[in-house]
Amino acid sequence: MNTPAKSIKRHLILTVVLSQLLLAAGLVFTGVFYTQRRLEAALDTDLEARAMSVAALVRYAEDGSHSLVFEKSLVPPPLDTVHPDFYQIQKGSLELTRSGHWPSNLTFNNTGLKAYRSLTISGIPYRALFLRQIPILDREEAPPSSADTLTVVYATPTVALHNQVLAAGAYIAVASLIWLGLTVLLALWGIRRGLLPLKHLAAEAAQVSAQNWELRAPPDAEQVAELRPLTEAMETMLNRLRQSFMQQREFLANAAHELKTPAAILKSTLQSLLQKPRTAPEYEAGLAQALDDMERLEKLLHWMLRLARAEQWTQAALPRELEGIDVAGTCEEAISGLRSLARSRKVELHLTTNSNVVCRADPEDLELVWVNLLENAIRYSPPGATVEIQVSRDNGSGTVVVEDHGPGIPEKDLPHIFERFRRADPSRTRETGGFGLGLAIAKALVEAYGGTITPESTLGRGTRMTVTLPTQQN
Amino acid sequence: MRVLVVEDEIRMAENIARSLREGASYAVDIATDGVEGLYMAQSEPYDAVLLDLMLPRLDGLELLKKLRNTKQHTPVLVLTAREEKESVVALLNAGADDYLTKPFDLGELLARTKALIRRGKGQPSPVLTVGDVEINTSNRTVRRAGKNISLTAMEYRVLEYLAHRPGAIVSKEELLEHLYDYNWEKFSNVIEVYISGLRRKLNNGRQLIQTLRGQGYMLQ
Repeated sequence: MNTPAKSIKRHLILTVVLSQLLLAAGLVFTGVFYTQRRLEAALDTDLEARAMSVAALVRYAEDGSHSLVFEKSLVPPPLDTVHPDFYQIQKGSLELTRSGHWPSNLTFNNTGLKAYRSLTISGIPYRALFLRQIPILDREEAPPSSADTLTVVYATPTVALHNQVLAAGAYIAVASLIWLGLTVLLALWGIRRGLLPLKHLAAEAAQVSAQNWELRAPPDAEQVAELRPLTEAMETMLNRLRQSFMQQREFLANAAHELKTPAAILKSTLQSLLQKPRTAPEYEAGLAQALDDMERLEKLLHWMLRLARAEQWTQAALPRELEGIDVAGTCEEAISGLRSLARSRKVELHLTTNSNVVCRADPEDLELVWVNLLENAIRYSPPGATVEIQVSRDNGSGTVVVEDHGPGIPEKDLPHIFERFRRADPSRTRETGGFGLGLAIAKALVEAYGGTITPESTLGRGTRMTVTLPTQQN
Repeated sequence: MRVLVVEDEIRMAENIARSLREGASYAVDIATDGVEGLYMAQSEPYDAVLLDLMLPRLDGLELLKKLRNTKQHTPVLVLTAREEKESVVALLNAGADDYLTKPFDLGELLARTKALIRRGKGQPSPVLTVGDVEINTSNRTVRRAGKNISLTAMEYRVLEYLAHRPGAIVSKEELLEHLYDYNWEKFSNVIEVYISGLRRKLNNGRQLIQTLRGQGYMLQ
């Protein structure tokens, strides 16, 4: 089996993986963002505490000069010796102290009481806090009514914080990927299981053939809601296919069968002609007979093709574009074609048209219907009788009645007259020389155009064929 | 020999009849429906019946069953357009001796009919031998002591019929019934004309055909 161009399984798995990846990315991003915010908030609090503790080391000199000193020796040793904290304390614009390597370019334009800044000092990220108007804690030596305040800038490196954030991100990412792998495996298993009924259905469908039209949907496929419309559609399709297949096969069998008789006649005519040497007039007569047989064969073929086409139309298998035609006109055509037969039988043909009936049909088909009905009627009419053809219109349908005054058809034979190969009365059929196919063709053609044909007969009084055809609506 | 053809297609029946008359010198009658066919098959002593299956009024298969029910042993060759095994089996079971599917070869029909008649008369070979006379039924030639003898169609008919029943007394009526079809006027003295013709042509000292006054003829 070829790899399918588009695989539902692949598509589903891809969807699962992509959505899982998106989820993992979202998780990582949210986690990192949250961790960073929390750590920064904690760092800011810590930063303020450290700044305040450094500010607390500023006190008045004990000599009563009210000058301020910074007890540098009391500053706790830095936690990170590689990237130590920085600080600077000022009283007004007077700098009291600053840690070593205080970058000179570190300035705050900000005039608020408290401000945080993220900055980079010689390539290392720092977080800095700027505090204004910090009161001096040392009250013992403070001059009376002193309102001295300090400005403190304190910066601490955020390298550790970033590392923590990265670690948290990595942790979440790894955990997400593990979960992703697990869910993909689960999805794979689920999809495989979910698609199993489809596989079973396909295996069952593969069993369908011209010999076996039965599609038995496997029980698991029947239980799947999504597959039900598919199985139902397949069943209806198979039914339709089987019907038209059977019809084709039946037609083929019938056609072959019906062609055999005229073919056998033609063959026997030629063979008996060749049986011994003959005179020229004998050959001539024989060839004329063969031609006669050939014409019969040809006529039968023509009828059968028309019938096949009409039957396909009933199944709507052939598209047709038909124009509205005058039904009475086709009757007239049929009558003019049968004039000589009628004359030879001394039968009168009488057409009555009550109203203009227009149908959507192939005029040649309708003509063939009338010819078949009329031929029957003429052949079964006694000499001097009249065959009536009436064309009339009811609402929505046109009616054509062909009525003869012949011997009539026994009631038990009426339902069978449209069967191919049926010859109701032997005394008639021998004379007709027909194939018992004419009425079958007439019926099939009428039905192909959505019409009906109804026979009525009274023994000794005649037969009446009523054809109704839907008229053109517009 | 006299054969009945039951076939509703007139043209077909006529072609078959013509072939049997010209190709086998048989007398042939035609029935064009089942009822007529059954009546004729029962009322006339045919040597074979060629029966079409698709017949008006009485189906060929029914005709066959009815014919066999009346203990008629006439060989029946069925002409059928159907090929299905079931119908062939049904045919043979109903008493058909052979069948041919349409469209068939007239030559084959002729050969089968001849064989059927031969078997019906207990003659396995197409060449009938009585004394030193050889009658080849396949090409209708007659030889006596190795010498070809030319006969008219009617003389051949008489000889062939008698040769199928060597040593048996065949009445004039039987000959009339088996050598003429329905439409012929049956004059008994016509037979005598053919018999004397045959005697003259076959004469080489020993007379083959004997006349048993009031009883008929015998070939031996």
